[in-house]
Amino acid sequence: MTSTFTGPPGGFPAAAVPPAVTAQGVSKVYGSGDAAVHALRGVSVGFARGAFTAIMGPSGSGKSTLMHCLAGLDTVTSGRIVLGDAEITGMGDRQLTMLRRDRVGFVFQAFNLLPTLTAEQNILLPMELSGRKPDRAWFGQVVDVLGLRDRLKHRPSELSGGQQQRVACARAIVARPEVIFADEPTGNLDSRAGAEVLGFLRSSVREMGQTIVMVTHDPVAASYADRVVFLRDGETVSEIVQPTPDAVLDRLKSLGA
Amino acid sequence: MLRTTLAGLRAHKLRLLLTAVAITLGVGFISGTFVLTDTMDKGVAKTFAKSADKVDFAVLPKSDDPDEGAPAKLLQKVRALPGVTDVHGVVKGDAALVGKDGKGVGDSPTVGMSVASGRLLRYDVDKGRPPSGGGETVLDTKVAKREGYTVGDTVSVLGEKHRVHKFKVVGLVDFGIDQEASFRGAVGFDSATAMLMTGQKTYRELDIAGGNEAAVKAAAGAGYDVYTGEELGARLAKAAGADTKIIQTGLLIFGLVAMLVSALVIYNTFSILIAQRMREMALLRCVGATRRQVFGGVLAESAVVGLVGSLLGLVAGVGLGEGALVAVSRFNAGVAVAGPSLAVRTIVLGLAVGIVVTVLSALLPARAATRVAPVAALRADLEPGSGRFRLGWLRTAIAVLLGAAGLGLGVLGSLVMGKGQNAMFTVAFAGGVFFLAVIAAMPALVRPLGRLAGAVPARLGGVPARLAVANAQRAPRRTATTTIALTVGVGLVSLFAVVAASGKATASSELEEQFPVQFQVRAQDYDGSVPQALTEALRKRPEVTDVVESHRKDTKVGDDDQGEIYTITRSALGKILKPEIKQGTLAAALKPGTAMVDDDTVARSGPGLGETVQVETAHGTVPVKITAVYKAGASLDGIIIPESDFTRYFGAQDPVDIYVKTRDGLPSSQARKAVDEAARPYPAAKVVSSAEFEETLTKAIDMMLMIFGGLLGLAIIIALFGIANTLTLSVVERTRESALLRALGLTKRQLRRMLSVEALVMAVIGAFTGVVLGIGFGWAATNAMASDSVFALPYLQVIGFVVLAGAAGMVAAVMPARRAARTSIVESLAHD
Repeated sequence: MTSTFTGPPGGFPAAAVPPAVTAQGVSKVYGSGDAAVHALRGVSVGFARGAFTAIMGPSGSGKSTLMHCLAGLDTVTSGRIVLGDAEITGMGDRQLTMLRRDRVGFVFQAFNLLPTLTAEQNILLPMELSGRKPDRAWFGQVVDVLGLRDRLKHRPSELSGGQQQRVACARAIVARPEVIFADEPTGNLDSRAGAEVLGFLRSSVREMGQTIVMVTHDPVAASYADRVVFLRDGETVSEIVQPTPDAVLDRLKSLGA
Repeated sequence: MLRTTLAGLRAHKLRLLLTAVAITLGVGFISGTFVLTDTMDKGVAKTFAKSADKVDFAVLPKSDDPDEGAPAKLLQKVRALPGVTDVHGVVKGDAALVGKDGKGVGDSPTVGMSVASGRLLRYDVDKGRPPSGGGETVLDTKVAKREGYTVGDTVSVLGEKHRVHKFKVVGLVDFGIDQEASFRGAVGFDSATAMLMTGQKTYRELDIAGGNEAAVKAAAGAGYDVYTGEELGARLAKAAGADTKIIQTGLLIFGLVAMLVSALVIYNTFSILIAQRMREMALLRCVGATRRQVFGGVLAESAVVGLVGSLLGLVAGVGLGEGALVAVSRFNAGVAVAGPSLAVRTIVLGLAVGIVVTVLSALLPARAATRVAPVAALRADLEPGSGRFRLGWLRTAIAVLLGAAGLGLGVLGSLVMGKGQNAMFTVAFAGGVFFLAVIAAMPALVRPLGRLAGAVPARLGGVPARLAVANAQRAPRRTATTTIALTVGVGLVSLFAVVAASGKATASSELEEQFPVQFQVRAQDYDGSVPQALTEALRKRPEVTDVVESHRKDTKVGDDDQGEIYTITRSALGKILKPEIKQGTLAAALKPGTAMVDDDTVARSGPGLGETVQVETAHGTVPVKITAVYKAGASLDGIIIPESDFTRYFGAQDPVDIYVKTRDGLPSSQARKAVDEAARPYPAAKVVSSAEFEETLTKAIDMMLMIFGGLLGLAIIIALFGIANTLTLSVVERTRESALLRALGLTKRQLRRMLSVEALVMAVIGAFTGVVLGIGFGWAATNAMASDSVFALPYLQVIGFVVLAGAAGMVAAVMPARRAARTSIVESLAHD
């Protein structure tokens, strides 16, 4: 995955640009009374535009919940989440759906693709749902960079795990969303396929200014990011800028994971 | 193992109920049928027991012939027996009550009956008192109400030779327990008057109060049966019960269709459940369950589902039976309404049918469950449905073989064989065989049919609809079974619709071609005739252009003592009534000493072309030569001889039918008025316009179709539950897929629409297949029925069935779709 992007939205972000997405004092409580579980306790964090940020933490730290809330998949109990110029806390289901459809991209750990659709149909699905016309040149470029050109007519069941995840990445990037949320994108892949996917995600940030927020528990995966935010027991505890796998591992150990 | 099964069922109550619904409906229908008919039987038995209670002994002639009843002599003999306090001779015959319009009431004359007074009075007197003496009558309450008569009125009743007699109404009586009377309506007299009015010379029955059995038997002799009151009641109830038996059998056939559809639904549900619980099954195998235990577990589950469904079905059945009873008693007031009777047999049969059908339907899925390898528990999630299906060679062979056999038999029955019942049975059998072929081939047909059914929605409905169409074709086997359940009901309904429409078309084309007259005047009773004078009166009317008479004489023809000879007004033959001559010529059959005969009679081994039959006439036996064979039609049948011969052989006879053609361009109301005016002096002469006749026929056929449609509606509803079931289970299966779509920006409404369209596609596949089968075999059945039947395709109805099925399918999707839309995205995406 050494090919690079040329063309559309490029350039490195200026430092003064406001964050792509921010959480302000976000809390999330599941259940009530004695059975209440505090998944997030007043998290405040910003994710810079044009940067690749990883969220890490031990199991139960609330990292997935935070991502779900940031992406408008889940509601918060209190606090605010602002994506671009829009406050998404308080939006109804329909508005949230529109937001996800038009401004957010997703890459999940598994079951990323619809089995009834071909790779190409899967990639174009979000645009079709919102009724936008895909930019064929851009589509071709993304497909070529990801090496999916000769796989477009295949159904997911005919693709390897790495290929499926690359299709998912292509789907996220083709719609040019403001933010891509990736939830353990390499969790189900072998290390080589994982490295390809992570390399692609990083180059999309570096070369075309895409914003990516990734949840992971793998220090190697986190080392591809520009910055790592650590969570424990529903609170942000620390962060590393320009991480290396070792630095991440050390920090995790100190958190008791 | 059993405990595991039961725990599983308890944990999934909704699933249990959904599966059981199909069985509940089927069992409900069957047990409802029993409840209804049992209750009717009980009511009938109660009514008859009550009425027969009043009689100590009854003497009935062994012969059914009304002329061979008990003579007056026997009545006197019985009356003289020691201990006998009263004897009533029962008289029954035709005595047409004349309505306020001056015409006989109803399509056939009312029954003239004797009504006893005193202890032997068997009927309930609603108002007034029993009749006595020559000037008094009682009327059937229902008829009196309909015709606007009441106690104190003077009414006209037609006696022998249609002479009008006046009577004073002294009472209103409920003749309900007498079937003939309750069907045709009745007027009652004392025995002597009844004999005079009906022309009967003997009694149908002697009802006796007092006396002893041995003495009565001895007096009656060998030609008579003697019953006690109790025996008489049982006998009458049994005869009336025959009707209930027919209703029961008819309803049970529809019940069986419903059970067949239920079986398909259950089979499908269990198949899907097993496929979804692959892991659970594998886990059981991992922890040491044997194949046999897994098999037993699934069967036990099905037995519980069957039991629950059947129990609910019994409850539903009592409700259904009760409801139907209310409807039935509204039509037939004669049936006493007893409390709903839930016989032990009903319970046993309902439970047995429900459980057996469920367990049998679960056999194949249970076998599939045993094939799950233990290691499957450890594998990552299996993808539901690859969308491809290949017919194995065995399935292909079966489908081809059955399909060819079905088509072959269909062609044989509809085109090759002689028309009539045998050909129709052949076609019905062919339909069954071909349907089996469709079942075998259906999984392979799902994809092409799905593309067809989905073409419009996929184009109009955007991405969700396109996804839905793909989803519907995803598990061809599952979709096939789901849709075939609907095919059964829709297929039968459209078959009936086609046959009904063809029947109507046939009738109207026959009327147009062979019955080109506006009116028919006929006697109210079958044996009766219309006075010749009416023909003359009609001929004198300026509005009337042609009057055609048809005469009939009962006489000995060949060896047949009960033969009939017909004739038609000479000038009308070939001009107004145009028989289609198949052999010989019409001219040849108009010569003296000749006759023409219809092809149906010839086919029933009657005399053929060139043969001579001996006909008994007023002047001895004469030979009649058959010189033509005509096609049997709407108004012509039997042996027709020239009019002049007829008069010569039998003397002047009143016509049995008069056909009237009115001037062209005359408004139908004026034409009707003219004919009515001419017929006014003859209360027994009924005027029927061919338009009315056609309308009556059309109404009768439509009514039949509606009843069949209603009864088959249940099978269709069960099939719709099947669609809802399949969809619900598919929704569960695709929870994560739906969540992914939602995350990618599919709105809740789009998700719901997606599932609706999927249901729509499935329903349309099923309905379309059913409609095609129904039309095909409807055509074959129409062809097999008679050589002159006309095939008609009720386009609108057939299109309506498919549209309705599609809409109903979308309704069936409402619940599963709501459920899918409610599911939280985050939870569904969580990896299990």
